[in-house]
Amino acid sequence: MKILQSNAGVLTNCEVLELLKSRGAGKDPTRVIAAVAPSEFKVYDYLEQTVAFKQTIEIIHKFVEDCKKYDLANGEMLNVVNIRPSSAVEIDPIIQDCDSRMGDRIDEFLENVVQVLPPYPSQLESNEDTAEDKEETTDDQQTGVK
Amino acid sequence: MRVSSSSSSSKDIARPPPSSLLKTLFVMSEIEHTLRLPPHLLNRPLNAAIKGELESLFLDKVIDKLGLCVSVYDILSIDGGFIFPGDGASTYTARFRLAMFRPYVGEVISARLKESTKDGLRLSLGFFDDIYVPIPLMPNPYHSEPDPEHKNGIRWVWEYMGENYPIDWMDEIRFRVHSVNYPPIPVEQGNDSEKKDSEEKDSRQKDLKPFVPMVIVGSLDADGLGPIAWWV
Repeated sequence: MKILQSNAGVLTNCEVLELLKSRGAGKDPTRVIAAVAPSEFKVYDYLEQTVAFKQTIEIIHKFVEDCKKYDLANGEMLNVVNIRPSSAVEIDPIIQDCDSRMGDRIDEFLENVVQVLPPYPSQLESNEDTAEDKEETTDDQQTGVK
Repeated sequence: MRVSSSSSSSKDIARPPPSSLLKTLFVMSEIEHTLRLPPHLLNRPLNAAIKGELESLFLDKVIDKLGLCVSVYDILSIDGGFIFPGDGASTYTARFRLAMFRPYVGEVISARLKESTKDGLRLSLGFFDDIYVPIPLMPNPYHSEPDPEHKNGIRWVWEYMGENYPIDWMDEIRFRVHSVNYPPIPVEQGNDSEKKDSEEKDSRQKDLKPFVPMVIVGSLDADGLGPIAWWV
């Protein structure tokens, strides 16, 4: 086995999820028929619980465009996409030297994050709606996937 | 998809970032491997057969320094198909890309609590369980108390501004990657015949601790880390 390139590109959580969904991971309730291995299903289960479940490639492109003016490192930007922090205290461990580099613009940045990246359903207001929301969103996801 | 990379800091605007700066939870690695395709797979289309073989070889396995292989992303090329003398199977050289789970130091990840013991915490991602938070990396100041719900378990509690915040078995815990280690595969050692029976059993018990090829050490010692419920 020869390693040609140990780092041939980064994958956001969303892209890994898309990869697994394109193999049929989301559609198969029995988990036997789809061309997805059990270990891959575990990854799918994990990613389903994160905000990546509601993201699409277009959303991520838009977010990267919007973030260029903040001069963030690649890793920091992708970490924000994967985690979707919604408050300043959540951003602090992700971006190094947050105060000195971002200063006042942190609120602006947070606004950007919260608007562009969709929240995970459980982050919405009332708990009664989450069950209905989850059903609706999974339906949307399934119709959206070709 | 390659994310167009902007400079990592204002000092390095002219230089393009080295590939080590391209980092996130999942990374693609390009590998070339020569594999033997067993004859019973010859009736399958070549791509599917090779992909199946690669999956059984690499999926859910740790490659040193590259991380845990999560999925075969795609196959770039397949060469060969030679049959060596005395062998019924054909041998192919394939170039392909694997999606690897390889978090970088400093990345913030959401996980769930798996174990809480006197040595610290153990967190799990579902597909990867070997994330440890040792005592020095717990949020300071803290104290521990015996857990009423789990026997032999210890519950860790963070003290902040006079309030006690326990680390319970609740939803998400965010940690920051402190280090990623790939311990070398242990070489088996011969039994020491001078030990008595009971001692031999004890040492065998310790040896039975499973070998872990990839260990992530996480830290909870910063604002915004720990159970999300503390901060939201």
